[in-house]
Amino acid sequence: MECCGPGYSSPADAVKAPQEKLLYTIAIYTGTGIQKPDYLATVDVDPDSSTYSQVIHRLEMPGIGDELHHMGWNACSSCFEDTSMARKYLLLPGVRSNNIHIIDTATDPRAPRLHKVVDGNEIKSKTNLSGPHTVHCLGSEIIISMLGNAKGEAPGGYLYLNKDFEILGRWENSMGDIKFGYDFWYQPRHNVMVSSEWAAPNTFMPGFDLEEVGHLKYGREIHFWDFEKKVPIETMYLGEDGLLPLEVKFHHDPDSTHGFCGAALSSNVIHWWKDNSEKWQWEKIIDVENEPHPEWPIPVPGVMSAILVSMDDKYLYLNNWLHGDMRQYDISDPHNPVLTGQVWMGGLLGKAPEVNGVKVAGGPQMFQLSLDGKRLYVTTSLFSTWDNQFYPEIREQGGIMIMIDCDPVSGGMTINPDFIVDFGQEPNGPSRCHEARYPGGDCTSDIWL
Amino acid sequence: MAYTVTISNRDNVRYQVDGKRSLLDSLRDRAVDLPYGCKYGGCITCAAKLTVGEVDQRRQVALNNRQINDGYVILCVARPTSDITIEIGVESHDKLYRNPFLDPLKPYELKADIAAPKEA
Ligand code: FES
Repeated sequence: MECCGPGYSSPADAVKAPQEKLLYTIAIYTGTGIQKPDYLATVDVDPDSSTYSQVIHRLEMPGIGDELHHMGWNACSSCFEDTSMARKYLLLPGVRSNNIHIIDTATDPRAPRLHKVVDGNEIKSKTNLSGPHTVHCLGSEIIISMLGNAKGEAPGGYLYLNKDFEILGRWENSMGDIKFGYDFWYQPRHNVMVSSEWAAPNTFMPGFDLEEVGHLKYGREIHFWDFEKKVPIETMYLGEDGLLPLEVKFHHDPDSTHGFCGAALSSNVIHWWKDNSEKWQWEKIIDVENEPHPEWPIPVPGVMSAILVSMDDKYLYLNNWLHGDMRQYDISDPHNPVLTGQVWMGGLLGKAPEVNGVKVAGGPQMFQLSLDGKRLYVTTSLFSTWDNQFYPEIREQGGIMIMIDCDPVSGGMTINPDFIVDFGQEPNGPSRCHEARYPGGDCTSDIWL
Repeated sequence: MAYTVTISNRDNVRYQVDGKRSLLDSLRDRAVDLPYGCKYGGCITCAAKLTVGEVDQRRQVALNNRQINDGYVILCVARPTSDITIEIGVESHDKLYRNPFLDPLKPYELKADIAAPKEA
């Protein structure tokens, strides 16, 4: 095909992309006691390279205390037909500082460089928003979910940037009755966006007070939007089944209405779809039971902080950050998922204190799957203050990144014995890695129009 | 009004600071290396422990009442109202973080906006 803009013509085309050679992950010092900037690490994931499984470049942010967390591209497959666009910039928001760092990854993919910073104070003064989280691009524009107003109070809204990263204002026309923000994903062919709920920045940033869940300071609803009108039109109250509904993902197939949400504290997967009478429906399809712990008065919840759908929509991956397992489910029938793989790394249950010779502080937390569905890269830190509560040893040990070999045909997962990146050994001291992305787009970045 | 701030875990170094400015701003101006994030009292990054004296930190919203009782202060909004002694950095955070499942808060130990009054 002689076009083309960024990405791939279809999910099926993306699956056939060449194997990733580099991966980017953010690594933080915020909240660790080390007074250094957070940074973007380039990890060599080319098995034929002499620096395989090592950090080969570190790009420090200009200031300290950002708490880098999630990130997103300036362009994805939704611009595939726009030859004027290129996947060149990675956006790195600082949840605490509000700064949005625009990183040029194209000029030298191994050594990304800072292109621009959208100043956090300017965002606050122009839009009354703070607490940036999920980044998606919409054609040539960018929207970022912001979890609070300028004072850190919920519900926040959506920051709207143009392709030159200038602040256009707020994206949404109304937040309706939405109480909190967090993640979002959209399916343009069905004119729908779904958003989820964590809590106000002032609630979650200092750490997790469990009692605040009962005081309704944390979310338990997901919201369906009229994507073109930019207004929420329907809310699903998930109740106790959906405490802290965090990550939301639609199928990659742009015609599908099926999507999934991981409710972190309930440790359930919620499935939604549009039924034959054009009504949105939801059901709980996976329920991770709390596990007994020898020293705990109450059983330990899984804490499912992330979910991911493979590019071919066949498998759903999830983590249980406190239990310590990663799971793979065959969701060919999204109403009836089948557990097809499970591995253990860290966690509070003591099932895998060490992986590939490195002691694990934390549990499986954030993950990114290769486009062909064969390699799943997993990191261990959730959020600095929450890490400090549940896994205080992470201060000395830092985070790790491991790789799980996944069988995309018959299912199954095994931890790859040759790959481990130990962020405990970083030059400035133990840091914590979180979200990962590949230069060519990945399983949580691209949306098809 | 000027007050003396003593930092007990930095060799008891002393600074004179203005009671109208936040401790974070005053101390950073004197090149004390302090962590911070949001700078509006909501994210806890800048927490330190007050061991002697009083501050006004009414603008903070990050700490629950247990953390306040344990002496934590939010330097980005706290202003001294007397001479004070503080401990800074993560060494002072021994009681700041707790496992919420193992060590629940009593109703009066929640954050101020939802805390129940302490029973006599
Ligand atoms: S810097 Fe966020 S509470 Fe002080």
